[in-house]
Amino acid sequence: MSADFEDEDAPPELIDVSAMPADQTSVDEEPTTRVPITLVTGYLGAGKTTLLNYILTEKHGKKIAVIMNAMDIEKPMTVNQGGQEVTEWMEVGNGCICCSVKDSGVMAIESLMERRGTFDYILLETTGLADPGNIAPIFWMDEGLGSSIYLDGIVTLVDAKNITRLLDEPAPEEKAESHDVHHDHGSGPVLSMAHMQISHADVVILNKTDLVTDQELEAVRDRVASINSVAKIHVTDHSQTPQIEGVVLDLHAYDHLADLDFSKKGHSHMDPAISTTAIVRPPIPADKVDCVDAWLRSVLWDTKFPAPAKSVSSEPHPVDFEIHRLKGILILNDGSSRIIQAVRDVFEIRDAEPISTEDKSKPLQCKIVLIGRGLGSSVEPWQESFESCLAAK
Amino acid sequence: MAEAAKRKCRGVDCPNDAGTLQCPTCLKSGTDSFFCSQDCFKRSWSEHKSIHKKNPATGTFNPYPSFPYSGSLRPVYPLSAKRTIPKTIPHPDYARDGIPRSEQKLIGRHNITILNKEEQEGMRKVCRLAREVLDAAARELKPGVTTDYIDEVVHKACIERDSYPSPLNYMNFPKSVCTSINETICHGIPDQRPLQDGDIINIDVTLYHKGFHGDINETYYVGDKALANPDAVRVVETSRECLDQSIDLVKPGMLFREPGNVIEKHAKGRNCSVVKSYCGHGINQLFHCAPNIPHYAKNKAVGTAKPGMCFTIEPMINIGTHRDRTWPDDWTSTTQDGSLSAQFEHTLLVTEDGVEVLTARLPDSPGGPVPMPSAA
Repeated sequence: MSADFEDEDAPPELIDVSAMPADQTSVDEEPTTRVPITLVTGYLGAGKTTLLNYILTEKHGKKIAVIMNAMDIEKPMTVNQGGQEVTEWMEVGNGCICCSVKDSGVMAIESLMERRGTFDYILLETTGLADPGNIAPIFWMDEGLGSSIYLDGIVTLVDAKNITRLLDEPAPEEKAESHDVHHDHGSGPVLSMAHMQISHADVVILNKTDLVTDQELEAVRDRVASINSVAKIHVTDHSQTPQIEGVVLDLHAYDHLADLDFSKKGHSHMDPAISTTAIVRPPIPADKVDCVDAWLRSVLWDTKFPAPAKSVSSEPHPVDFEIHRLKGILILNDGSSRIIQAVRDVFEIRDAEPISTEDKSKPLQCKIVLIGRGLGSSVEPWQESFESCLAAK
Repeated sequence: MAEAAKRKCRGVDCPNDAGTLQCPTCLKSGTDSFFCSQDCFKRSWSEHKSIHKKNPATGTFNPYPSFPYSGSLRPVYPLSAKRTIPKTIPHPDYARDGIPRSEQKLIGRHNITILNKEEQEGMRKVCRLAREVLDAAARELKPGVTTDYIDEVVHKACIERDSYPSPLNYMNFPKSVCTSINETICHGIPDQRPLQDGDIINIDVTLYHKGFHGDINETYYVGDKALANPDAVRVVETSRECLDQSIDLVKPGMLFREPGNVIEKHAKGRNCSVVKSYCGHGINQLFHCAPNIPHYAKNKAVGTAKPGMCFTIEPMINIGTHRDRTWPDDWTSTTQDGSLSAQFEHTLLVTEDGVEVLTARLPDSPGGPVPMPSAA
């Protein structure tokens, strides 16, 4: 008997079978359920942590995971579920990251759910100065990828007491960096990260309202609505939301389009940097969807304003602009409709669920809502540009 | 030392990183197996010791005996010793520690390099060399030859052409070429397994020459049994046709989201599926860069092809599920149901009015399309 054989015969320690690798042999073509992930943004002090703790400790019977630092490979990802906190390093060495289509943060969350069981909801807390426009496209994955998570929406917490200062006089580190490498914002209005967080938001929670007067609150609300007219605004204090479904959870901001009606009438220009504008027109022929696609490619991919063939409006064409979020609905002459969703340069046009015929009083209209910087003071040039692309042969 | 990649503990179900403690038997045999602690090693012993059971005839073993493999393919270790490249041949930045720093610099997700005439000539040259190396490797394919031997052929052929084999040490990949057999989708590591009559094998070659990378792969039939297997021929030929059809689209103005529609349509028509986890990629002075080109339909890829851009298209097509599973070696990607997978790849240059297939086949290139075995 060689020494090696003695080695092999050493009495083995007992192995706990529950510690054995789980059986992974099931081959599901598609996962049955996908877990919604909500991005929670807001400056330090806006109340993100308070809100998340509130959600974690409230009795709602839901399995909710709160993830911090998921996008930061320098720090461990922290996951809090049911009051238990676990820390995990992201696996970055997993295969060839460069020709893999999924982000390593997404894969880390998927692998976490494989090992620890699934959740009902995931809330992803971004760092205070994160630009949600850089993070949202990562989680807005193609359905074909069959991920076990999907982007439900972006919730931005706003400190009602401080937001005006943050928008008007951001400290150097609070300024938004231009993501367009070709040109700077030049002499344009200051763009703060607070702008970015509000412009990308599907829901804005105005927090700390106990610290401001009714008048101040109204001014803040108007300011937020002037930046992003389609985000739902909720008012709260101490980060307590009486109802989390529909406010923080179940937003379906990227797969449904409940309504695109502005909460405010008209078009306000209270914020010098970012605004919302909307193109509205009657139904279009079905074969014009490709024209809309081309128009969107110009606007979103090339940030080039498609100049109308013949301009009637006296308004100047937007030149230096940048779309952060775009949503739209196209009503086609054949009675069907399409939904448009975009965040930054990523967009899709998809078949819409049949429109409910309950409200026949309102004629159905195509509508495209743009949120971004440098859109100009009037919708007229945009409207003309869009009309012109539809008229082109 | 701080730059060294973290090693995972080999302990059963152990989430920890490993320190410097290694199993003495593995140390002797040159197998990489580190543990976080003696306790963990003790705990994993009955599991772990099975990897010491070498095949008495060949001295080979399966390093992950408890992994639930989806098909019949197994890794056959030990891997051969690390091969080296003479210092006189320029190395890419990751050759030293495995980290492709130049690729990780954020130069914008959609900022796509346009190559000037001189750079295009550099791409033309390296891609021609890559084709020669792939052909040299493919000529050696026959039952009984190990993938490690194919690696040796590729490695030497690269050196003869004053080129660095790009996969070597890229993200710590241990070998100079990817060899993906049967249910392996991509990124197979060359090892001691002899090829068998009936195998299909993909050889994925990338060269780094005078500052540029050229990337190419093809799938080949091993022996007559493979040519007589209708499933093998269906998946290989479908994959070949998917690549050809998608290249037909390439010209200035092509949207990067379009090839996926053509590939998926053709694959579905042949009752095959398209792997979604891996995509085509930009390639130039960097091995992998923007744009990403998905191979599946209805994707939201951003961007438009313009003259002077270089990228690959490399559809991976499966007989069964599109889903993939990665072996514990962190590289080998196989189908989740163990069904056959095939892939073809070219490096493409967008020209003023179309496309130049930089890695195009030569008149004497081995392989090529075969007919379906006469229907039963």
